[in-house]
Amino acid sequence: MNESKTIETLRLAGELEISRKREIRDALALSENARAVLLDLSDVTYADSTALTELLRFCAAAQGADMPIAILIEAPQFLRLVQYAGLATAFRIFQDRGDALHYLSECAGT
Amino acid sequence: MMPRRIRGPLVLTLALMALFVVGLVVAGLFVRSIVASSFNNAESVRVARILVAGVVRRQLDEETGIRGYEADRNRILLEPYYEGRAGLPRSRSRLARVLERLRMDDALAVLQDAGRTNRRWLEEVALPLLAPKPGPPSLELRGKTLVDHFRADMASIEMLLARREASSDARAQRAVLLVGFFAFGVAAAVIVAALLFTIQQYRLSMRLEQERGKAEAERRRSAEIRAAYEAEKRIAETLQGAFVQNVLPKPAMLRLGATYLPAADEGKIGGDWYDAFELPGDRVLLAIGDVAGHGIDAAVAMNATRQLVMSCALIDPRPGPVLERVNAELLRNQSPLVTAMAALVHAGTREFDYAVAGHPPAVLWEPGRGARFLEVGSVPLGVLGSAVYRTHRVRSMPGALLVLYTDGAIEHSRDAVAGEELLLAAVESAAQASPANIATAIRSRIFDERKAADDVAILTVRFAERPEGRAAFFERGSQTTVATGTRTGRA
Repeated sequence: MNESKTIETLRLAGELEISRKREIRDALALSENARAVLLDLSDVTYADSTALTELLRFCAAAQGADMPIAILIEAPQFLRLVQYAGLATAFRIFQDRGDALHYLSECAGT
Repeated sequence: MMPRRIRGPLVLTLALMALFVVGLVVAGLFVRSIVASSFNNAESVRVARILVAGVVRRQLDEETGIRGYEADRNRILLEPYYEGRAGLPRSRSRLARVLERLRMDDALAVLQDAGRTNRRWLEEVALPLLAPKPGPPSLELRGKTLVDHFRADMASIEMLLARREASSDARAQRAVLLVGFFAFGVAAAVIVAALLFTIQQYRLSMRLEQERGKAEAERRRSAEIRAAYEAEKRIAETLQGAFVQNVLPKPAMLRLGATYLPAADEGKIGGDWYDAFELPGDRVLLAIGDVAGHGIDAAVAMNATRQLVMSCALIDPRPGPVLERVNAELLRNQSPLVTAMAALVHAGTREFDYAVAGHPPAVLWEPGRGARFLEVGSVPLGVLGSAVYRTHRVRSMPGALLVLYTDGAIEHSRDAVAGEELLLAAVESAAQASPANIATAIRSRIFDERKAADDVAILTVRFAERPEGRAAFFERGSQTTVATGTRTGRA
């Protein structure tokens, strides 16, 4: 139970673009007791370069702070963009929520 | 032209003033009627007093005539009696009319009493005295009593008239006072109205001034914003132009093609670029990239990144190390994020190495095998210090076509999967048609003369059909090591 509490889920949806920059930035904020983060982008279908930059910087910062991070993506066209952006090589991307949570709880547990 | 919220108070003021004028006119008529009635009254009272005097005189004439006759029995002495008797009723009825007009019922009653007294005097005193045989001496006393009564009546009427005159004078005085007040009121009203009007006028002009000032400020601000936007656009275009104006190299056994299409919205001209330059050993380094963002910052960062790529390639041209060096340098300078792909093409062996940093994968078309995407890479440059950029090696075949591009070429519909299919089809048909500039052909097949929403850059390399055909496409060009880009968009 304690483990699931420390996994923080951050969720974004729709088409992420420069006009939503502030909203994206506000959404990408972690609470203090978070020990792992699930970035839930399962309802995102598109992200422009500005939004991808925000996502990348957030993931890089989390990784820099030794915070396990899993990215959940379902839309194939968005997955393609994320692959282009090289996120798959630097971060763990999942298409199944269960897999993502399992990965995170293992990371947080050890 | 007058703003609506100023019109309301103005209408209200005018309505109030109209009401005021109507009030003044009514008050004026009222005062006038009071003054007129008071003067009429005074005139009537004066006439009544004259008539009273006439009545008394005629009665006196009657009595004088009778008395003279009584003493002398001379008929001539009766003349005043007859005159008075003839005139008295007329004078009395005229007086009665005036008193009626004055509504002095009390005086009228007294006048009637006086009339009755006069009649009794005529019947009981005058007529017996005129008889041939004189009446008893008691008649004289009786006559005196009646005449006194008549005189007392007339004196009482006179007194009532005097009282009325006094009260009527007081009313006239009050009316005069009222006229004074009215005049004062009119003057005050005119002053107040003028004051109100002036204040209203002042406030109106102040508000109009304010509105005008606001509109002016608005106009100036929007002009400034427009000017700033124009300036930024011009600078960004100039910086972008610095890269577009160069010429592609013409290495042996390779044919390069390129196109750059600026964004439809010129304010979105951004940081797309490509470069191609020759290195010793029949090698050509290709680079293509996109700096995140738009405008001056993106254009400046783009030029800096280009220089970095060239410098790093001179130290070690292998694509992986080139990107890693550039990444470290960008992180040090806190540059905006950059997606890029670098490829080192070996013209003689038709091999090429490439590395990708957050950039959409290149397309390779080979005769008989069709078009396919190459590998995706790691994160963009300028994000992760620990990022590793792997160098992939591909051995190609004669006649193969390598296509590098920026994301504008596949993300025009926001659906990268559909964009990929469209790009593969465009590459396929362009490769088979083999036009003079393959890059331009691919672009026009994707966009159908449509304007691109984002910048689009495409860089193509075609390998010679046969290794020995060093001049298969054209004679070997100059040995300039660095030459890049061509402005094919409008050629």
